Amino acid sequence: MSSLIWYIYDFARKAWTDAFTNAKTSPEIADKPERFRNFPKVNKEYCIGCGACTISCPSPNAIKIVREKDNEDGEGLTYPVITHGACIRCGFCAEVCPTEPKTLECGENHLIHPEFNIIPSKRQYIIDDYLCIKCKKCMKKCPVDAISIVNDKLHVDQLKCISCGECIDVCPVNGAMKGVFVENLQDQKDIILLTVDYLESYINSKEEDLRSLEKDRLLQYEIPLSEILTKAIKLIPDEEIASEIITNAVNRLKIRIIDWNKSECKKCQLCIPDCPTKCISFDEKEDTIVRDVNKCLRCSICYQTCPFSVIKYFIAKFSLEDDNLINITVKASNLNEEILME
Amino acid sequence: MLNAIKDVVRKSSIHVCIVNCGGCNGCDVECVALLSPRYDLEQYGIYVHNNPREADVLLLTGAVTEQWTDNLKRVYDKAPEPKIVVSIGNCPISGDVFNQEGGHVHAPASNFIPVDAEVPGCPPRPSEILEAILAVGPQAIADRGREKK
Repeated sequence: MSSLIWYIYDFARKAWTDAFTNAKTSPEIADKPERFRNFPKVNKEYCIGCGACTISCPSPNAIKIVREKDNEDGEGLTYPVITHGACIRCGFCAEVCPTEPKTLECGENHLIHPEFNIIPSKRQYIIDDYLCIKCKKCMKKCPVDAISIVNDKLHVDQLKCISCGECIDVCPVNGAMKGVFVENLQDQKDIILLTVDYLESYINSKEEDLRSLEKDRLLQYEIPLSEILTKAIKLIPDEEIASEIITNAVNRLKIRIIDWNKSECKKCQLCIPDCPTKCISFDEKEDTIVRDVNKCLRCSICYQTCPFSVIKYFIAKFSLEDDNLINITVKASNLNEEILME
Repeated sequence: MLNAIKDVVRKSSIHVCIVNCGGCNGCDVECVALLSPRYDLEQYGIYVHNNPREADVLLLTGAVTEQWTDNLKRVYDKAPEPKIVVSIGNCPISGDVFNQEGGHVHAPASNFIPVDAEVPGCPPRPSEILEAILAVGPQAIADRGREKK
């Protein structure tokens, strides 16, 4: 009897009658969850027509790349069209899309850029297989067992590596274990270029020394690192990265220097047709031979051609030790002698 | 008067039969999710019978394999009039990932039986299936019922 009263009471409640007359799934259940991958959204104007989306698509009929007809305004747009009846909403097309901003948008995963390392680190540790002697000291030293042997080669698992740098300290071979900077590669290249340009212009500025240099003699200079470093820090505002890039570059640098004594030049113009990059030209107004330094390969052909030995050719080597002084050694080339000897 | 009563009854009480004609079962799982308390299909007056003889709505899933080419029409004929067919997922529409070169699927399903509504997705969300059944189902059944008169 009491249960019957309970039923009547339950059915008489307003909430029950509301739910009975107007059935509805609550919106938070029906709504798509956050980061749901819906049908890809196409931004026509960014498409470069590479076709990566069609190749990555697992469904044969889902993506077609179409091209609009040309009109007066210009060429017709090329863009992917998604067939909703075949698209499986996997979002692969959005992930492979190489344009920036993306032509295809699907979910949020493709907007998250993959990281090399689980810990934010400036360096990525890699093993140079050519130099590695497989002593496995780094394997034993590694505190998180990130180094393992894959296909008879030692390999650093970037997902496990914590960038402690102990493997570099323990490695007996110089350069076999590398901690390379993975970010802003273009700035790193610019720093190396800056270093080379600075050193070359410094040596070229010592004209008198170069011209009076005898055979089998060396010119030696010492210049402080600080000037290059201040310029480099403007490119990469991190002293550790900048100084290491400069040190690495300077220590293995070998520059070929071309010195051109314009006052002695006879303007025979023999060097002009011989230059492989056409960087040497004759300036008629100024009546001089001009060398375009940016085009020049420092290949020494002009030096070998010049019948009056006006063009001189030197080889410069560098070393940078802990005292922040760059040691420069310049030697005259003996290229012509070797040719004469033969 | 009789028609009006029939319309009300047909709209408020829909019997559904799921027909899987050769798919991966993903869409069927989504249909089963509709039965769960979370979505609670039955609060809308929709019942899943899985018997074509009692069905008003055939929920069609799968890419129509070789064996289903004949049987699909037989199942459709067994359902009493008025009836509608809602295809769930991409497979009955285009064959989806099974429609590879050299494959043996006979999509689309509309080549064999008339399909009234299509729900794209691989699989579609339960709420999308529900929306489609509720949006198309009642009115289509009512219209189909009048046609026969």
